[in-house]
Amino acid sequence: MRRSLLAASALLLLALLAALWQESCRSKPVALTPVLTGQVEYCLTCHADLPEISRSHPVKTFGCVLCHGGERLSLDADLAHSTMRGGKNPSGFSVVEASCGGDNCHSGAAADYRNHIQRATSSIQATYAGAIASIRYTFGAQPDLTARLGIFAIQAPQSASGITGLAAFDPAQETNPAIQAFAQDCLYCHLSAQPLAEDEYSRFSGCAACHTPLSDSPPTFSENGGSHRGVHTLTTAIPYTQCNRCHNRGNYDLRSMTFVPRDDHPTGRLSDYYQPIAQFARCEWTLDCVDCHTRAEVMGDGSLYSGKKEIQYIQCRTCHGTLAELPNTKTLTDPNDLAFRLAFLNESAGHFESAWRLEVGDTILVTGKGEPLWNIRTLSGGTYELFDKATRQRFTFRPVMGSGCQQKADEQASQDCHKCHAVER
Amino acid sequence: MRPSFFHHLHPPTIPARQARFRYTLAAGGLAVFLMLILLVTGILEMFFYIPTPDEAALSIQTLSFLVPYGGLVRNLHYWSAQLLLVVSAVHLLRVIFTGAYAPPRRFNYLLGLFLFVTAILLDFTGYILRWDEGVHWALVAGTNLVKSIPLLGKTLYGILVGGGQPGAATLIRFYGWHIFGLTLVAIILGFWHTFRLRRDGGIAVPPPALRVDHERITRFELVRREVLAMLLTGSALLILSAFSPAPLAPPITNAAALTEAARAPWFFLWVQQLLKLGSPFIWGVLVPLVVLLLLVLIPYGFPQPAKAELGRWFPKSNRAAQILFAILGLAILSLIALALIPNP
Amino acid sequence: MPDLSRRDFLKLAQDSLLALSGLLGLGGLIRFLDYQTEPPAPTDFDLGLASNCPAGTRKVIPDVPALLIHDASGFSALSLVCTHLGCTVEEEAEGFACPCHGSRFDPQGIVIRGPANKPLRSLRVETTEDGHLHLYTA
Repeated sequence: MRRSLLAASALLLLALLAALWQESCRSKPVALTPVLTGQVEYCLTCHADLPEISRSHPVKTFGCVLCHGGERLSLDADLAHSTMRGGKNPSGFSVVEASCGGDNCHSGAAADYRNHIQRATSSIQATYAGAIASIRYTFGAQPDLTARLGIFAIQAPQSASGITGLAAFDPAQETNPAIQAFAQDCLYCHLSAQPLAEDEYSRFSGCAACHTPLSDSPPTFSENGGSHRGVHTLTTAIPYTQCNRCHNRGNYDLRSMTFVPRDDHPTGRLSDYYQPIAQFARCEWTLDCVDCHTRAEVMGDGSLYSGKKEIQYIQCRTCHGTLAELPNTKTLTDPNDLAFRLAFLNESAGHFESAWRLEVGDTILVTGKGEPLWNIRTLSGGTYELFDKATRQRFTFRPVMGSGCQQKADEQASQDCHKCHAVER
Repeated sequence: MRPSFFHHLHPPTIPARQARFRYTLAAGGLAVFLMLILLVTGILEMFFYIPTPDEAALSIQTLSFLVPYGGLVRNLHYWSAQLLLVVSAVHLLRVIFTGAYAPPRRFNYLLGLFLFVTAILLDFTGYILRWDEGVHWALVAGTNLVKSIPLLGKTLYGILVGGGQPGAATLIRFYGWHIFGLTLVAIILGFWHTFRLRRDGGIAVPPPALRVDHERITRFELVRREVLAMLLTGSALLILSAFSPAPLAPPITNAAALTEAARAPWFFLWVQQLLKLGSPFIWGVLVPLVVLLLLVLIPYGFPQPAKAELGRWFPKSNRAAQILFAILGLAILSLIALALIPNP
Repeated sequence: MPDLSRRDFLKLAQDSLLALSGLLGLGGLIRFLDYQTEPPAPTDFDLGLASNCPAGTRKVIPDVPALLIHDASGFSALSLVCTHLGCTVEEEAEGFACPCHGSRFDPQGIVIRGPANKPLRSLRVETTEDGHLHLYTA
C-alpha cells in the first residue's frame, strides 16, 4: 500500500506537470485593441504574418473583427472562425452590409459619395439584370428589354431609371428550356456567383470580386506594371487582369446556349487583354479598364438598369474631345472635392515617390455626367496628361480639335474613331 | 500514530471484504471527491464568469484562452461533473446489485437518489451557464418542457425562466440555482447521506451471526485507500483536462435563432429520444418521473434482499429489483447510444 | 544522518512529491487569480484645444481629477487626488481641502494640515502639433 501511495503521488506530480506543460505549449496571446472598437482582439496571435489589407484600413484602427466578424477572444481556431462573416470574404453581398456598411464607412449618404454598397448591389454587374432581361426577351418570356428580374430581389425606390425594384430570377418559374439552360450554365459571372473552377476565372464575390485582385492566375506580364498581390488586399488600383476574370473570357452561342472559352495563348498584354476577334484602339489595351470606366459605370449610380448600355457612357471623346469641342474640364477649387479623395485612395497615386499629386488649382477632366477623371489633368500648351491607375505610367495626349483627324464632324462617336485607330492584330 | 481529524471522520474499523475495490468500486467515495473538486474549481471559475447574456460566453472564452490555467480549471470542472454522474450511476448500480438498500438503509437510499437527481440538475444548470449556441437548443426545449406540465406548468416556467422567454433573467436564476440553491441542497443531502451511512452501520454486511469473514481493516488503512483513489482519480482528471477541452461554441446573440444542431446534453439524450415519440408532457416529464418512481419503489415494493446475502454482488433474494434496474439502465443507455449515432 | 527506516523514507518521498505538487498547484493558482480582465485606467487625457484655456485660467478637470493651470510660465496641472487616501480634494478660497479626513493644502498643493503628509502631485501637460492639450498622470 505504501508503495502504491508513493507511486500514485508520483503519478499525480507527473499529471500536474503534463497539464502545466500543455498550457505552456500554447502560443502567447497577442492582443490588439483597435481604435474604432475599443475591444481587445487576439487574432494576431496566429495571423500576425498577414499583410495590412490596404492603407485605408490599418489594422491598428480597424482590427480584424470589425470587418470579418469572428470570436475575438478565442485562441481555438475553429471557435474563433465560427462566427466569421462570409468565410474568407466578408464582402460577399449576403454579409457586406454588416462587414463594410455604416454611415461613416461604405453605406453612407449619396451626397457624401459614400453609398458604395447601395450602388454596387444595385449595379448591372451584381443584378445581372441585363443578361437576364435580354435572354428572357429573346426567348419570349417577357415583351420587352426592360429588366424585371435580377439574380436577387432588390428595391431601389430612388431609381432614376423608373425601375424601382427587381424580383429574383427563379429558373423553376421559367418554362422555356433555353432560359432554363441559361440558368443552368450561364450564371457564373455576376458579383455573387461562384466562378468556374479554372484558374483564369478565379475571384472572390462581392466587393472583393474587383477590389481584391488575385495574383495566382496566369498570365501576368511585366508590361502590366505587375505587383503581384496577395489575397489579403483591398485596392482601387485594379489591373485589367482582374476585370478579365469575367470579361473577355470567350463567346456565347445563344442557339445552343453554350459558352465557348477563348483558346488563344496570349504572349503579351496586347494579345491578352482582349479576345483575338476584337480590334481596339491603342489606349484600350495600354491603359487599364479603370482608367476610363468611371465609378458610376462600373459600380452603378444607385439606380436599377436594364442593360449596360444604359449605364456605360464613356467615349473616346470624353478625354479626347471632338473636332468641334475640347473635352470637359473642371478646375479644382475645393480641397474637399471628390477628386482629391479619389486620388488619395488610389495607392498608386497617393503613396509613391513619383506620385500623382493633385493640387487645388489643377484642372482635371470631367465626364458628361460630371464625374471627375482625377487621373487626367490639363497641361499648359493645350495637352493633357493621364496617370494609369494600375501601372503608374504617365501618358501625354492631344485633343482631337486641331489635329489631323479625318472623320466627319458629325461622326465623332467611339465607333467612328475605331475605324482608323483600331489596331490590327 | 494518533488519528487525525480525517481519520476520525471514519469508523474505527470496517469489514475487510466489503472494503475491497471490487465490492464498492470506490463509487461513493469517488462521488464525494468529485464534488469537492467541483466546489473548488467552481469557486475559482466564479472569479471570471459573468452571468449576463452579453458577457457569459465571452467570459468563458477569456477564462479558457487567456487566464493562466483557466482552461485547465474549466476542463477540470467539466470532466469532474460528467464523471460525477457516471460514478453516481455506478454507485446506484452497486447499491442495487448488492442489495445494500435493505432496511435500515431504505431512507438513505432515497437520500442518495435525490442527491443523484440534484447532481443531474447541477450539471444541467451549469451547462446552460455557457449561454452559447451549443446549449441554445437545450435551453429552449428544456424550459418549454416545464411549460407542458398541466395546471402548474405556466407558474413553474415563470419561476424557472423569470419571464416570457429565456433571457437575462433566466441566466441569473440558473446561476443562482447552480452556485447556491442546488449546491446547498447537494451539501445538505450529502451530509445527511453520509451521516445516515454511519448511523445505519456503514457498508452493508450480514449480521455477525451470519457472517463468513470477520476480518476488518482499520481507519488508517481505509484512509490510505481513499487517498490512493483520490491521487489516481486526480491524475486521470488532470490528464483528461489537459488534453481534452470542455466544449465551447459561439455566444447566443439572437434569442430566436438556433444555429447549431439540436442536441441535448449527453445525460438527457435519452429524454430527447423519448420526445420524438410525441407529447412533451408524457415523454419528457411523466416517463422520467415514472423511472424515478420505480427506482424509489425498489426498497419498498420489491422483495427485500436476505440479511445473509448482504455484502456481496448479485444476491438471489432481490433478483426482481436487479432485473428492473437492469432493464431501466439498458433502456436509457440504448436511447443515449441511439442518439449518438449520426443520422444518415 | 540518522538511519531512516524504509517506511519513513517512503513516507518522506511521498510527502515530498505531494508537497511539490502542492507548491506547483499553488503557483498556478496565484497566476490564475492574478489575471486582470479589465484594461488599466487611462493615463493620457486629451483636454481639447489649448486656445480654450487662455492665460490666467484655473480649470478643474473632473475625469482625472486634476486642476489645469495656465499662468505666466505656461501650462501645468495639479492632481486633485488627496495624498492621504485618495479622495478628491475640493478647491477653496485659499487652496484645497479634503472632505474625507480634513487634510488641507495651499494653492500650490503643499500640505498645510494633515493627516496627509505629501504634497499634491504635479502632472505633466503637453501641447501637441494640432493645438491640443494632453495631460499625463503616469
